[in-house]
Amino acid sequence: MRLWLYLLLLILLLGAFTAGLAFGSVAIPFEQVMHILLGGTPQKASWANILFQFRLPKALTALLVGAALSAAGLQMQTLFRNPLADPFVLGVSSGASVGVALVILGSGAHGGLTFIAGLSLLGSFTLAAAASLGASLVLAAVLLLSRRVQNTLILLISGLMFGYLANAIVSLLIYFSQPERVQAMSLWTAGSFGGVTWTHMPVFASAIGLGLLLSLAMVKPLNALLLGDEYARSLGLNVRRARFWIILSASLLAGASTAFCGPIWFVGVAVPHVTRALFHTADHRALMPAVMLMGSTFALFADLIAQMPGSQRVLPLNVVMSLFGVPVILWIILRQRELRQTFAS
Amino acid sequence: MLRKTSTLLFALALFLAACGRATPLPPTATPVPVATATLLPTATATPFTPQHNLTDGCVPEGQYDPAVDYFPEKVTITYAQNLSVEYHGHYKVVTIATPWPGATEPIRYALVQCGTPAPQGFQPEEIIEVPVRTIVTLSTTYLPFLDELGVLDRLVGVDDTTYVSNPKVLKMAEEGKLATLGYGAGINVEKALELQPDLIMVYGSGAPDYDAHPVLLKAGLKVAINAEWMDTSPLGRAEWGKYIALFFNKEAAAGALFAETQRKYTELSRLTADLPEKPSVFANTPYQGTWYMPGGRSYVATFFKDAGANYLWADDTSTASLSLSFEAVFERAKDADFWLNIGFFSTLEDLKAVDPRFAEFAAFQKGNVWNNDAKVTPQGGNDYYETAVAHPELVLADLIKIFHPNLLPDHTLIYYRPVK
Repeated sequence: MRLWLYLLLLILLLGAFTAGLAFGSVAIPFEQVMHILLGGTPQKASWANILFQFRLPKALTALLVGAALSAAGLQMQTLFRNPLADPFVLGVSSGASVGVALVILGSGAHGGLTFIAGLSLLGSFTLAAAASLGASLVLAAVLLLSRRVQNTLILLISGLMFGYLANAIVSLLIYFSQPERVQAMSLWTAGSFGGVTWTHMPVFASAIGLGLLLSLAMVKPLNALLLGDEYARSLGLNVRRARFWIILSASLLAGASTAFCGPIWFVGVAVPHVTRALFHTADHRALMPAVMLMGSTFALFADLIAQMPGSQRVLPLNVVMSLFGVPVILWIILRQRELRQTFAS
Repeated sequence: MLRKTSTLLFALALFLAACGRATPLPPTATPVPVATATLLPTATATPFTPQHNLTDGCVPEGQYDPAVDYFPEKVTITYAQNLSVEYHGHYKVVTIATPWPGATEPIRYALVQCGTPAPQGFQPEEIIEVPVRTIVTLSTTYLPFLDELGVLDRLVGVDDTTYVSNPKVLKMAEEGKLATLGYGAGINVEKALELQPDLIMVYGSGAPDYDAHPVLLKAGLKVAINAEWMDTSPLGRAEWGKYIALFFNKEAAAGALFAETQRKYTELSRLTADLPEKPSVFANTPYQGTWYMPGGRSYVATFFKDAGANYLWADDTSTASLSLSFEAVFERAKDADFWLNIGFFSTLEDLKAVDPRFAEFAAFQKGNVWNNDAKVTPQGGNDYYETAVAHPELVLADLIKIFHPNLLPDHTLIYYRPVK
């Protein structure tokens, strides 16, 4: 039964990935898409470019981010035994947005220009680097805390506080900024998979890959933590160490995604619930790979809708995710009654 | 208990409101003797009839005559779609049909010659006495007009001097003659109240939470919305200089300035009207995967058309920016001859470093990338966003020089530079 579900998810993912390559603003006949992908010469030279330079990196990004945020969301929900937790609950994305806001809004006029003009040094990594730096600072603070604090709830509240602090700094920067820059900032928060090019891909994919491997390695401690810290301890788990690695992997995943694509909401909180509902289990050995598959599929489909195939225009990704995602996910969750049971809290 | 507190609060609010009203109003127009007035015979013989608009001062006390036209010099609006003005003897009514995007009602102001009575039928905030003696501007685009109308000495405050290019304004700021009030809803109202300018000129974005004018109006200050930025033709934008002039009774000067601009602009656009070959052009750079391309009816598109270029999105009918996907732009503009307005990027290296896909454009490979940042101050203020509104003919000359260098062999680029 479960095997069938995996197979179904895999097929869906493959379908979504192919659709992501086949459909976009520019209409390319499907047999041409296949032909070009298999190394043939395209009818129109620009089509090969569009496929390899635009659609392929975008689809790969969606795949990676979808998996990353869903895995991170699952880890956070389990760690805090809270169904509302998401990958950003510890303030990672807020930290990233402080970094981005400092680049876009804060660096003053001249400073900003030279900063952006000096892009050739850091290349397109400027925003990503600033975002990663912000995310890492928050992450370091949370990790330090996690080693000192016994109580997971205190950790959660501290994370929330870091988030508020970061948001306050961003709001302050926005308040004193020119409207054009504020607009650039608000566009960043709309989220997009289209900004990652092949230049970024090695760094981006390794960060996400590492985070995903770490989260797969943490499935057993996660299962133990589901039963509560005390019980996990009695099973011989070093709770603090497990917590450290879980936070590290989740934050790496959330931080890298936010740094390159902007904050992508919704996937991280919704996909774990849907997966639990479909698989009727709380066992992370089954759930972890499943949420990754499901998250990737969801992200790919959301991006497909955002690109509005056939039209030249695009919609903001976060808007699409919530608009189209909420009804689907509500339907799935409402159909199952034992949320609490599978959540085992 | 709760009820008691709220009653108390209500009373307090009332008290505060009353106090607000009781604060002394700005000193309204103490009549300043006008030079011409002294030349006239006694008031009883002929009423005071100005030969020119009173650009400096009021109608002397007791000499108001309803039959007299106090604005012998008038302007007519031809290009600015959003603007209209009517003259009524001692006051003029200026109407902005759409003061900000999505506005459902027009905004109008009654500009009353000082020393004459306020007309009936207007709200207090709609009445502004002219000529204004002190002005605060919240956009750099108004400064060139003030400069050329010769009223820069009446400027007492700006939003921020950082991005200003005008050397005279910068000097005034250095000498401490200009207050800086800040942007949008975060504007320093206390400073504005202390300054008590006769007029604050602002733009509205349509998002009341971000705009300065609701805050300023609430404080009882005189505010005039300027919607020049929403006009979709370059000449239409330049014509808003007449709007600014209305507040100073400088109709004559504004009319002459605009006529000159219009003459030059039309002459230039005639150069390109019948060209058989029009190079193709696209604009801007993408951000977060979305490429914000000027709409086919935007003022940028009009510039491209008048400069004899084939704008690749000219078939579009919107005036705002289009949010396009990178691949859609790539498909249409890959082989385009020119790429303009690349924003913050300063070299081709920068472009390529940020996104290697930029190097695939033919315009990039041919070195036909141009940016409008040739005149940027060390602080980052770009003169393109300052004087170019008042002088579209200079922008047009730049563009023609870029697209058809043979047509204007002697023109040196002002705002544009080749990106290398």
